[in-house]
Amino acid sequence: MPYLAKLEKAGIPTVVVDLEDQEQMVKQEALVSGVPKIRYLHASRMLPGPDDVDNWIEPMLEALTRPLTDKEKESGLYTIPQQRIIYEGTLEEAQDFYQQTEWIPLPVQAPIAKYTDGFPIIIPTEEKVAWMLTGTSHKPDEIITHQTNRLATQGEATSGGRLEIKKGDVVRFQPLKRTATVEQVAVNAVMAGCRPEHLPIVLAIAQSGTPISTTNFPSQAVCVSGSIVKEIGMNTGCGMFGPGSVANSPIGRAYQLMAINLGGAVPGVNRMGCLGSPLNNGGVAYAENADGLPSGWKGLNEEFGYKKDENIVMVQMITGGILGSQFSPGGYRALQKSGHGGIARKFDVKGTPGPHNWLDYLVPELFAGREGAWTIVMVPEMAQHLVDLGFKSKDDVYKYLWEKGFEPLKKYRGRSWPDFRRNGWTGIEKTSGKPWKELPDDYMVPAAGDDPNEFCIVIGGGQEEACVQLAGDRGNAFSIDAWK
Amino acid sequence: MAEKDRIYKCLNPVGMQLPVKTFPLAPRLDTLDGKEIYISITGEPDITIPLEKKLKSDYPNVDWKVKKTYGIVPVEISEEEMKTADGLIQAICW
Repeated sequence: MPYLAKLEKAGIPTVVVDLEDQEQMVKQEALVSGVPKIRYLHASRMLPGPDDVDNWIEPMLEALTRPLTDKEKESGLYTIPQQRIIYEGTLEEAQDFYQQTEWIPLPVQAPIAKYTDGFPIIIPTEEKVAWMLTGTSHKPDEIITHQTNRLATQGEATSGGRLEIKKGDVVRFQPLKRTATVEQVAVNAVMAGCRPEHLPIVLAIAQSGTPISTTNFPSQAVCVSGSIVKEIGMNTGCGMFGPGSVANSPIGRAYQLMAINLGGAVPGVNRMGCLGSPLNNGGVAYAENADGLPSGWKGLNEEFGYKKDENIVMVQMITGGILGSQFSPGGYRALQKSGHGGIARKFDVKGTPGPHNWLDYLVPELFAGREGAWTIVMVPEMAQHLVDLGFKSKDDVYKYLWEKGFEPLKKYRGRSWPDFRRNGWTGIEKTSGKPWKELPDDYMVPAAGDDPNEFCIVIGGGQEEACVQLAGDRGNAFSIDAWK
Repeated sequence: MAEKDRIYKCLNPVGMQLPVKTFPLAPRLDTLDGKEIYISITGEPDITIPLEKKLKSDYPNVDWKVKKTYGIVPVEISEEEMKTADGLIQAICW
């Protein structure tokens, strides 16, 4: 929309064709882009294209010629008054205030919480927020800014439309590109149930702009690496993704509350994940068990270029879902201890003690229904088996999995997302350096993404031999120490 | 006063919307004939392929120019192209 706003401001009339359920998003984006009266019309999700086009081609062209109305000729200034104190009352009354809903029309047709994720919150009283702010040395009125240079990800606004983000740039929270102060982040941290020692992590997450993505089944997760994991008591052991931790759960929830309040994300208005995601319902924060890393394997902090004693949080977009439980822990033990059981039969190693490469039990099925990299969370014992097999670093595993994802071009072209991601097959295939359309059907291409290092391994979990795969790559990392 | 009746000041969790200067739309065209109109295609080929075909076949007096991507971020017209562009249709994503 900023592009269309630029054209309209330059005197070039435009018209937008979108899909009906996205009307609220068009209006909202147009407003914050400075052209609230942009002309638009709707295409159909159901009609065949030629019939659909026949229905609106004339009104579409008319939108370029029909004289402007008085409203469309107006200019002005769109502002929203920002009150620091939003409510005064008892705690019980305040709970009702923060839990208020607003009716969201199609495609939702239900009341949606205005300030919360639907669950009751801790009321962010002045006292509670002041207590929360003891967790950082940053001033309450400091605007959240980027602490390092990095490349922007899709949807992140940079001043002047730059593709890179510079240290000191103001963080624009998605999707409404709002800004926030340290105090406002602390307000959301209080509401989520965080404690002051969690605040530097929440502030580091805030630096991501809390992306929510759109369209399909986008989920968000954050993973903490460094000594702070133990210091604040995050659960990296049994049940690390489950309920019970008073650190993991509130930190994960803080992400979602910031997306709702700082970013302005509303389902069906600008958060268009069609089915939503249970991972976002309460939020997902997990952490790395650095003590469980096999010798020679780097922690996440080091993988992202930080030192071993530095604390970071990785903010991930899980574009698919979660896989796991492909094998039974007992079956895994039988394989590795004595070469027994179903996995041993599959591998044709019956009677031969391990270690055996259990990754081969996951692939190629890992890429059967979805292309792209995965984040693999595994228990220390299984990581050690990989080291014993010769995977001296995580990079060795990433490369192995990536190469296992190679498949003939003909098969790859039968997938859905690559039509979009390969821009209609108009670009260059990376491994060959040749145009996609010039490659033979039997040319082998990676289904697991363009770069082995998009994969990610996190060590954690309990004693059972288990591995969980999150359908998404490693995302971005942010320094926690910068926010202490 | 009982603790449950105590009045608290509660803080605003909502982020700050920077003031946005709003602009009028660009003046519309008196006619499309002879004008340079860009079709900015972003995905949905089931719609945009017949759209492009129909525009070119049914409105031959318009000087159609096309910018195309299968992604969601439009291929922008250059500053130089903006000097002669008379209008733009954005379909389907924006």
